[in-house]
Amino acid sequence: MPDVVVTNLRKEFAGTTVLHEVTFTIKDGEFFTLLGPSGCGKSTTLGLIAGLDKPTSGEISVGDVVFVSDRNGKFVPPESRNLGMVFQSYALWPHMTLAQNLAMPLNIRKIPKAEQQPLIYDALDKVGLAHLIKRYPHQLSGGQQQRVALARALVYSPKVLLLDEPLSNLDAKLREQARVWLKRLQAELGITTVYVTHDQEEALAMSDRIAVMSNGHMLQVAPPYEIYEEPATAEVAAFIGRSNFLDGDVINATGGSATVRLQESGEVINVSASGTFSTGDAVTVAFRPEKIHLSQTGATAPAGSIILDVDVLTTSYVGSRYEYDLKYGDRIIIAESSTGTVSGAAKLVIPAEAPRLYPRADVVSADAAELMAVTH
Amino acid sequence: MSTLSQTKPPQSGQKPALPEYPVPRYRKILGADRSSWVFWGTIIVLAVLVLAPVVPTLYQSIRDRPLYEVGGIFTADNYVRLFTEADFGTVALNTVIFALMTTVLAIIIAVPMAIVVVRTNIPGRRIFGIAMQWPFFISSLILGFGWITMYGPAGFISVEVRRTLGFLPWDLYSLGGMAVTEAVALAPIAYVFCSNALRSSDASLEGAAQTVGAGPFRILRSVVIPMLRPPVVYSCLLVFSLSLETLSIPLLYGQPVGISVFATFLYNNGLQSIDPDYGILGAASAIILVVTIALVAVQAKLLKDAKRFVSVRGKATRPRILDLGWLRWVSVAFITIYVVFGALIPILGLVARSFTKVFTPLQNPLLSLTTNNYLTIFQYPVYVQSIKNSLIVASIGAIAVSLLATVAVVVARRSTFRYRKLIEYLALAPNAMPGLIIGIGLFWAFSFLPFGSGQFIQGTLWAIIIGFGLRALPSAYGSISPAAMQIGEELDQASRVAGADWLRTFLRMLAKLLTPAFGAAVILTFVVMLKEYSPAIFLGSADTNVIGTTMLELWVQGNTGSVAALATLQITLTAIFVGIAGLLMKGKKDA
Repeated sequence: MPDVVVTNLRKEFAGTTVLHEVTFTIKDGEFFTLLGPSGCGKSTTLGLIAGLDKPTSGEISVGDVVFVSDRNGKFVPPESRNLGMVFQSYALWPHMTLAQNLAMPLNIRKIPKAEQQPLIYDALDKVGLAHLIKRYPHQLSGGQQQRVALARALVYSPKVLLLDEPLSNLDAKLREQARVWLKRLQAELGITTVYVTHDQEEALAMSDRIAVMSNGHMLQVAPPYEIYEEPATAEVAAFIGRSNFLDGDVINATGGSATVRLQESGEVINVSASGTFSTGDAVTVAFRPEKIHLSQTGATAPAGSIILDVDVLTTSYVGSRYEYDLKYGDRIIIAESSTGTVSGAAKLVIPAEAPRLYPRADVVSADAAELMAVTH
Repeated sequence: MSTLSQTKPPQSGQKPALPEYPVPRYRKILGADRSSWVFWGTIIVLAVLVLAPVVPTLYQSIRDRPLYEVGGIFTADNYVRLFTEADFGTVALNTVIFALMTTVLAIIIAVPMAIVVVRTNIPGRRIFGIAMQWPFFISSLILGFGWITMYGPAGFISVEVRRTLGFLPWDLYSLGGMAVTEAVALAPIAYVFCSNALRSSDASLEGAAQTVGAGPFRILRSVVIPMLRPPVVYSCLLVFSLSLETLSIPLLYGQPVGISVFATFLYNNGLQSIDPDYGILGAASAIILVVTIALVAVQAKLLKDAKRFVSVRGKATRPRILDLGWLRWVSVAFITIYVVFGALIPILGLVARSFTKVFTPLQNPLLSLTTNNYLTIFQYPVYVQSIKNSLIVASIGAIAVSLLATVAVVVARRSTFRYRKLIEYLALAPNAMPGLIIGIGLFWAFSFLPFGSGQFIQGTLWAIIIGFGLRALPSAYGSISPAAMQIGEELDQASRVAGADWLRTFLRMLAKLLTPAFGAAVILTFVVMLKEYSPAIFLGSADTNVIGTTMLELWVQGNTGSVAALATLQITLTAIFVGIAGLLMKGKKDA
């Protein structure tokens, strides 16, 4: 099972570009996730890999087989790509039993009936539904249908498995279990898998690597830990988990760190920076609510921490922890804490390793910004 | 997931060796895959069918002699003569007046009725809703017969009114009389559009009006009626263009008193004269065709815009029922008058006429009861043959047209074929072609075929099947298309990814899933084709009369009793067929 190589893939619909020159490689046996909000181009990308749509330009190949290429106008139709795909709606053929649903791809491949029986049984057994082989799809629950769809996509041993938000129609509890189960099944089979989801938790829990997409661009391709801990851009930081953002200007930059004057207060802080910044750059400082501490006096702050003066606006108990809305200038900063006793004027402690520095970006939607602004 | 424990453990940490199966291959025919052949085949068949009547008509209109004669030259003379010698100007004026009156009357009947039936608490709403479907069973030709039987100069009710009042306050054989009857016939079409729009409108809009203190009449005036504008405008256009091309009622009412409209002009010039002037016929047809095509194009545009109007669909909401108070009894009376006097009395009169020797209030009809009218029909083989012909044409035609429409829908909606939009336009194009012009155009097309091969079709039932089928094609397409849209696109995508090419996906997936829609289309087109007759006026021969053309023939002979009998038979046949088909479809659904 070879690598899937996608080069400069671009797609336009009626003049609007929904996918901008995307390039990435999916390694053999990898669980690769396309993650992003709706309309970011992730499903388009999957459809292009499956061959359900033709790209405007670019190339997709698996091993030495070119699926589609703008150089020689080659296009392999979906039926000749030998992929397995699970759709969001499962797309089980309603007029066929489970056995017939699974037999269809085998019949097309002219596999003798005698060989089909064990294949169908094995595939359904893998998803734990062999006993329902004679049922029709509508007689199954949503979770069962989803597993049948998976069995149907696997029964003919395709080269690559494509999953288009397969868990999004399940209810929350079931989804969490299905996530673990699916990840294990994929690891057992070792099949190269492309997974599309808008659910970041799902992506973080299951993937070997995640590609974060937004507005038809691929922002970062990295393993889950890196995506969360070291988001490449402010947009990734905003989309994966939660982040607080403060705008500022660089007043002094040396190799590994930068001195930033915050716009809200004029306060000056030191932030370690991975990118290169120079004096005068407009920047955004990002830090996650769970990486920061709140204390009434700030006395216990570790050395090198940034300490900001804030006012506690609201305290909410959200189960297992407290969440604070803190007023800092005209902005609201969210902080998580295990205690809910801090009130009034307080000190926000941002440990040295918590903040990340990005070029200034509008990562907060206008609606959210309005809600977050402190009105007097 | 309860079955987690049933999944197999990894086998000793090693990836299991998976079997490799060959990628399915599909043979190419002359370098193109087989699905492309289906795409091109569909578009070619449709284009030939649609263009066959149009091109010869346009061509004939600019030739100085009949197409089958050699040595013609191009000329504009036909158009000049059309307006000078043939007095086409008066005809056009009549047509426009007739169509305008019909449109206004039909809207006046349909729109209030739709509002009252769908949105208010009048009693018997369900029954009225069902009653508005009567034109499905009764053609406008039969309605015309019925109206003449009851309200014509010597009609049953006219005679009675004249006896009481001393004079008759109406004249059916006038443009006004035509318009009233045509409006009664077309009002249900406008009603269907408006009531659908009312049903799908968002009830929360009215809820919002109510919360700010608006009463039921205020809601009707300020919310419901303004929202109806798109469907009303659309049905105006639809009724207008349908009444431009209609033949039945102008033929029955206008012929005796010499009032001519588009369709009767074609009828007289093409059929009644001994030596038809093909140039004038062609020029008139071309003008009518251009007008109807323009109207249908505007309709299509409006319908698209109207859809944009209702694009905000969220939760399904039950339409709010408004209380009209005492006014509801006025509404009920109004609808009852329409249904009873418009449709019920004329049809019952026609049935009564078919069982009597003389049908007049001057003599108790029960004293002249007879079955002779039916015997006349069953005694003459030509008449029996026309019933058989109608049934043959409708059954073969319905299946053929529904098959073609299914393929056209699937190619237009579910393929990546470059010209799929064009397929939809072609399938709906016959909407813009009056039945008579389809008849004339195909007649010319057959005479145009090389080696005189058209002779083998001309005058046969096949010619009539083609003509009627073309007329019914848009209905079939229109009834299958929504069903196809409801089948999730992911079902065929799944099939494609699993290894089936487009054709196999169509045959194994879509065809099966579309079977109920196909059945419904067969029923619909069967009924449409059983009622149809106008293309057969030019395409038929003495041996290939259908019920409609036989009725006309008997009418001209003055044999009104047998006309009534045939009409009763046609309505009965339709009802029996729809009943049986409905039962069969229902049985299938239960299984």
